[in-house]
Amino acid sequence: MADKPVKGEKRFFVTGNEVVAWAALAANAEIMYGYPITPQNEVMHYWTRLAPKYGRRFLQTEDEISAGFTTVGGVLSGARAFTATAGPGNTLMQESMSMAEMMQIPTVVVVQQRGGPSTGTVIYSQQEVTMTCFGGNGEGFRVVYSTGSHQELYDYVIKAFNTAWKYRIPTFVLGDGYQAKMRESLIMYDPEERGIQMVPTEKIVGASGVPGVDREPKHLRNTYNTEEELYKVVGDLAKHYWQVAPEIEEYEEFDCADAETVIVAHGVVTRAAQGAVKELREQGKKVGHFRPITLRPFPKKAMEKAIQKAKEILVVESAEGQLAKIVKAEIYGSDIPITGYFRPGMGITAEEIVEYILNKG
Amino acid sequence: MAREYKIALAGEGGQGVQSVASIIVEAANDKGREALYIPNFGVEQRGGVSIAFIQIADEKIGSPKFKIADIVVALSDRSVRRTAQYVDHRTTFVYDASIKGVEDDLPKNAAKIYAIPAIEVAKTELHPRVFNIIIMGAVIEATKVIDIDSAKEAIEKKLGYKFEQDPKLRELNFKALERGVELVRQVTN
Repeated sequence: MADKPVKGEKRFFVTGNEVVAWAALAANAEIMYGYPITPQNEVMHYWTRLAPKYGRRFLQTEDEISAGFTTVGGVLSGARAFTATAGPGNTLMQESMSMAEMMQIPTVVVVQQRGGPSTGTVIYSQQEVTMTCFGGNGEGFRVVYSTGSHQELYDYVIKAFNTAWKYRIPTFVLGDGYQAKMRESLIMYDPEERGIQMVPTEKIVGASGVPGVDREPKHLRNTYNTEEELYKVVGDLAKHYWQVAPEIEEYEEFDCADAETVIVAHGVVTRAAQGAVKELREQGKKVGHFRPITLRPFPKKAMEKAIQKAKEILVVESAEGQLAKIVKAEIYGSDIPITGYFRPGMGITAEEIVEYILNKG
Repeated sequence: MAREYKIALAGEGGQGVQSVASIIVEAANDKGREALYIPNFGVEQRGGVSIAFIQIADEKIGSPKFKIADIVVALSDRSVRRTAQYVDHRTTFVYDASIKGVEDDLPKNAAKIYAIPAIEVAKTELHPRVFNIIIMGAVIEATKVIDIDSAKEAIEKKLGYKFEQDPKLRELNFKALERGVELVRQVTN
């Protein structure tokens, strides 16, 4: 087999889709399953160009329903496998990811959000938050990392494989069309050289040894006969999820300690929120920014701490309140008023957040 | 050089605005500066106006798109109309002198408006193929985001393999770059 795809540390200037492909290679992903959809196409494009050089594989399926299920199948066979999609493709993958939740299959899905509902635009949005966190007929036993830069796309794609395999929870990296298509600089690195060990994979189906003799027999099911059986299984899943959630939760905060207005934003919009805080602080306004990196599980305790001095919370997102809905549920009981600056399917700049906050008084 | 520059380059498909944008940002990145480039990539890119949004700065850059550009370069009548939204009183607006019928559509609020005869120069003095390199020269002269030697290095990096086969192409491209610089100097001085 060829050398390691990424050696040492090196500055790159590429699109986000190319970053995802390199990160998956660096994480020793063995196979990608996929079906083309804009703005995710170039993840596949780069993967198919790079993968053969490093002994990795690719399977193009007939649609996203199949891409989701083949990813599940690949993981069951013990492969570090992933897929990438967007918009209506994400919709079609919900059935397979619901299965992954039920059977604790460590799939990794990269989502580059586009405008919706339906075909919407091929460009950009943050309208796949609810679906990526809670899609399918399940309980949202998933990990969703919302990235805001090329560096984070690289870091979190690598991390997603480890989170998935360590905790056996389906894991999503939630990007967007801007991150997919733009070029900016980042440092790529060999995870091992930074002390990041890839969590080993194992065969979930077809493990070696005689079941019941050499090892515990596995009984992989997503169908149950009685209410009580299912209730027990889902209860165990819930218990596991909430137990590991505090280890998984991630966030960033900016000037929240004395902030009277806390801007909550995720993904690429954090860049605008950070810019707005900087500008408003220069004008003497007590404004801070709380950014959940994991939208699921949500960093509830950290957010509660960040809003201790807040008189108002402003949720800023390129969707009609999908993050706001999560925030409201998570800080239920707080009496701080929550308002929203919602721009479904539209990019948001620092200048417009500043203007909005100053104008509303 | 220290300040942050926001540039919107707009033209018809085939005028090469996206390739110019990518050469400029790569040159800036090679010099260790922060650059961010995003094309508009809606379905309209097939047969519509093609816009490149570029930002170059010394620190990490914020939102990928912006509301107001420091400089707008519009290379067709539709591009002039389409990019008026990125202009305010701080913006330098550059358009091609050969575009007809846009006098009333030029953004009246722009800080400065310059018409440069890039299409004409490409056709009569050089070659239509290097039109976008003339535009690149115009952009770097108007913004100073990179110097001309860095621009030449970046062009060499991108097109060097073609220059190997035909060294005259190198000369033609570098000449186009220099002419672009001159066209802006003529209108700004």
